[in-house]
Amino acid sequence: MGQKGMVFNIQRFTIHDGPGLRTEIFLKGCPLRCRWCSNPESWMLQMQPGVYRSKCISQKKCGACLDACPGGDVLKFYRGKLAAIDREKCLHCLACARECPSEAVKQWGEWMTVEQCMKIILKDRGYYERSGGGVTVSGGDPMVQSDFVEELFKACKEEGIQTCLESTFHANWKDIEKVLPYADIIISDIKHMDPEIHKQYTGVDNAKILENLKRLSETGKELILRIPVIPNVNDDMDNIAATADFILNEMNGNVRTLQLLSFMRLGEEKYDSLGIPYGMEGVKLNRKSFQKHVEKIAEYCNGRGIHCLVGTKEKE
Amino acid sequence: MSEKHTTACGTEPFDKTYSLGYQVHHEDWSPYPRVNRLRQTFLDRPYEIDVERLRLVTEAYQKHARAPRKLQCAYAFENVLLNTSLYVYDEDLILGEIAAPAKASPIYPEFSVAWIIDEILHSPFEEREHDQFYIRNDKERQEILDLCAWWQGRTVADRIEGRLSYDQEKGSEVGEKIFQTNLYHYAGTGHLAIDYAKLMRVGYDGLINEAKARLSELSMRDPEYADKRDFYEAMIIMHEAAKKYIERYAKLCEEKAAEEKDEKRKAELETMAANCHQVAGGVPQTFWQAMQLFNFATTLIQVESNGHSISYGRMDQWLYPYYEKDIKNGTLTKEFALELIEVEYVKMNNPTKLKDKGSMAVRNGRGFGGESLTIGGVDKDGNDATNDLTMLMLEGSAHTRMMNPWVCVRMHKDTPYELKVKAVECIRAGYGHPKLFNDEPAIKGMMRKGMTLEEARDYCVVGCVEISLPGKEYGWHDAAYVNTPKMMEMVLNGGRSMNTGAQLGPDLGSLDTYQSFEEILESVDKQFEYWTDQMCSSLNIIDNAHRELKPLPYLSGFYQDCMDSGKDVTEGGAKYNGTGPQASGMATCADELSTIKQLVFDEKRVTGAELLQAIRDNWEGHEKLYALVNSSKVHHYGNDDDYADELFKFMFECYCRHISGRKNPRGGIFSPGVYSVNANVAMGLNTNASVDGRKKGEAISDNMGPVHTDAGSHDVSGPTALTNSLTKVDHSLATNGTLMNMRFPQEAVAGIEGRDNLISFIDEYMAKKAMHVQFNIMSSETMRAAQKKPEDYKDMLVRVAGYSAYFVELGKPLQKDLIQRTELHF
Repeated sequence: MGQKGMVFNIQRFTIHDGPGLRTEIFLKGCPLRCRWCSNPESWMLQMQPGVYRSKCISQKKCGACLDACPGGDVLKFYRGKLAAIDREKCLHCLACARECPSEAVKQWGEWMTVEQCMKIILKDRGYYERSGGGVTVSGGDPMVQSDFVEELFKACKEEGIQTCLESTFHANWKDIEKVLPYADIIISDIKHMDPEIHKQYTGVDNAKILENLKRLSETGKELILRIPVIPNVNDDMDNIAATADFILNEMNGNVRTLQLLSFMRLGEEKYDSLGIPYGMEGVKLNRKSFQKHVEKIAEYCNGRGIHCLVGTKEKE
Repeated sequence: MSEKHTTACGTEPFDKTYSLGYQVHHEDWSPYPRVNRLRQTFLDRPYEIDVERLRLVTEAYQKHARAPRKLQCAYAFENVLLNTSLYVYDEDLILGEIAAPAKASPIYPEFSVAWIIDEILHSPFEEREHDQFYIRNDKERQEILDLCAWWQGRTVADRIEGRLSYDQEKGSEVGEKIFQTNLYHYAGTGHLAIDYAKLMRVGYDGLINEAKARLSELSMRDPEYADKRDFYEAMIIMHEAAKKYIERYAKLCEEKAAEEKDEKRKAELETMAANCHQVAGGVPQTFWQAMQLFNFATTLIQVESNGHSISYGRMDQWLYPYYEKDIKNGTLTKEFALELIEVEYVKMNNPTKLKDKGSMAVRNGRGFGGESLTIGGVDKDGNDATNDLTMLMLEGSAHTRMMNPWVCVRMHKDTPYELKVKAVECIRAGYGHPKLFNDEPAIKGMMRKGMTLEEARDYCVVGCVEISLPGKEYGWHDAAYVNTPKMMEMVLNGGRSMNTGAQLGPDLGSLDTYQSFEEILESVDKQFEYWTDQMCSSLNIIDNAHRELKPLPYLSGFYQDCMDSGKDVTEGGAKYNGTGPQASGMATCADELSTIKQLVFDEKRVTGAELLQAIRDNWEGHEKLYALVNSSKVHHYGNDDDYADELFKFMFECYCRHISGRKNPRGGIFSPGVYSVNANVAMGLNTNASVDGRKKGEAISDNMGPVHTDAGSHDVSGPTALTNSLTKVDHSLATNGTLMNMRFPQEAVAGIEGRDNLISFIDEYMAKKAMHVQFNIMSSETMRAAQKKPEDYKDMLVRVAGYSAYFVELGKPLQKDLIQRTELHF
């Protein structure tokens, strides 16, 4: 015991990542930089301040962040309201976030012990038991903090709470192996079958991921796979066919459900708050025809004998 | 998920999905074209004012000027029933209305008239921003004014106003509105369910014979001989009048049938006439006749008095023998039973009530309100009581989706899976029904009122959330609304009004003088004691005025204990006699206390004087502090955070302690409730800024719910955290009920998994012993769309509190409050 995890959100009562009603622990740190990522605050392992200018009540009426900041010229104001943080000069002390009364500076990330997490997890135990739910650890990529996840899951299993691990699995097998005995359900993505394109859009190639998925399929664990369906990136039928081939041939079809998550413009304001340009800025989408296309993909996969659904559900 | 199952079923599979939220341009909901047409006819009919009752009642009072009061009441009732216009509406299957034509609102001058005259002359009902009513023509307008003029000085309200002292008035609606006793100050009491099972068993003749026997047994040596004689005589006159009234309907149906060309309709009219002949005095022989008798008996309670929440008891239970018998002997199909239920459901919407401006502000909506129909739950032995009617009554609700009836499902640990699914499918359809009650704390609450376990298990819901015992309890539920943040203003400001500086309550110190947090808690306790003294003594004055001026012998006839004792319900004739005032704005107070404790005493970030100045200045010039108190950096109720939740518990227990056990003039005790329905909006309008980060005029917190101010919601941790917070208090202490609204957007409960998740959520909510919950499945987006294009959302119901109402008909401040209530996500 004694491990601490860098947690950026604990969401009670989620229904999207795993069965039933769940508590989801989001950990910071991720080796990937997917352009469509909706959680940019999860990339870095360290604590970060995020700026929400619309919540600022103005330097004139408040100024608490300026008084608190130990650095010089770190906080940037636009028309009297805090607009940005000079990330080069920022000491990541988070004094601004602590002092801001209006939550215009949000602290992304907090070191938490397993005990602290368990205290929150146990509050909703009754809901897990009634609904077949439990705890999901997501990120970021929790494999970045595999020692913490191992201890957290152990603690969950001691309490008889079901666990679910959501990871990119761009990780070393020895890290995965540590967590595996305590993970009941595994959720992962297959973002693209082509290593080059994978690298172009996520920053890493897919070899390690596919190899890990293959190995995972041999462990007999409950596996939920997802394709984040991104227009003009991975939604062509060639890539979908190759993904289906991989699931059927390399993973022996050992996938409980293949979930298709249609691209949504999410998290733009978080990019803004971190001063990171949004990677999907140029994407224009006809929602209706795209949704039809995604349903066509589902039909195709089901035709191939893979239980496939649109959205995060497992039952129609 | 529940292991228990039932074979009870309606006409549809138990897991039929109706829809997900409100659908614009929806198709007809009912499979019965007749029901859809009756429903539309209801919606298209105007809200008129009916002058007949006023005219006939006045005539009788004038004619019988020297008669004892109970007999005056009886003659007035009789005069209405023998002379009021009767209508048989096209396609209708059940007869009986409170007014002519249907949906018009009668006038009840016995209770109050001053506001009627005042509003007709100065702020006409037709020109209200919402809840308009229409007087039919100038002649009737003048007639109403003339008749009401006769009543001035003779009403219940006049009697009350003559007796309230300055100290009692200063906190009431005529003063600072710290507590509002409007409802029974200006109108009838209601809030009850009669013993329908007995009525069905003995009929009007049975009741009349019982009264006659008791009358003949009366001893002239009984010092109350004359009072009791008056009571029985009045009751007999009234129940005889009911019989004649029903016979008038029979005759009208026969005339209609004779003229009718369509053979099918002719047969229906003939059956309806036969039904009336049978139930005029006799007992129902069929399911249809039982429904017919039910409708007559119930609407006549509303002709006698305009008390709201005249509820239907455990309808799936008392009606079941008639259903079972007809199904067994093959004279009734499930389909026709459901059609009758739906026709009756539509009809239940007809009674409307013209309310004074002040009451209207506290309670939006033109219906009487509170007509609860309880189903499910346990029987007297504690076993699950689900039957076919339980399911059919939910199906009927999903097929009609109107304000009435307010269907309430009693849940317990053995509620069968099929019933839960059916209830959740109705909830998911997004029309706000049914509400869910939890047997365990409710039964415990009933027993706190002195009932036996067997009696407690037979509870039903009357009104929004009040638990009551049919035919035995006259609970005066919903007696008053207490604006607890206003009391808190006195706590923080030396007992003085922040507006005028006038000394209203005791001076126990103020926020700039208190030396410790404990001192503040003590001050809250004492201030609450002072104001609950004022309120409860005022309520007793109101109670007495009803007893003196407006006894209810027709209603009392349905109470076994009144029948036995010769005492009217207003005289304490019922077996259980409560008075139930409610606390509003508890979370506002809890967050105020939490803010003070944390910022002033624990962290010493600000002084009490600074905080006090901030609310005096309505937060202007205190923007930094305003942002802070509204941020999640301050402990707030509703986040499963003991720091604030303990203070909510303190408030809850403090209020319950000061109300519970006080005596009322009917020989009963006061019973605290913690809910505001929608009164929190109107109360907020005249409440100064508060320390929780509320600005002047914003709504105070609703019911058991958390605070939401213009700066945002104070509960930010989701529905499980909220549930944990609100179950840290013992709900059974609030023997007059607690109320919890939850709102989820449609997508949160979509799909089979969404349905199952909602069931799991409810199961755990109940396991934590919360008393009540109701849901709005409606996104803020949908509500904003309805504000923009009301014509597309005309029949969209929204759960306001204990009740559902048409969203587009609500006042703007209430619409805003509904949108601001936190949208919860799974």
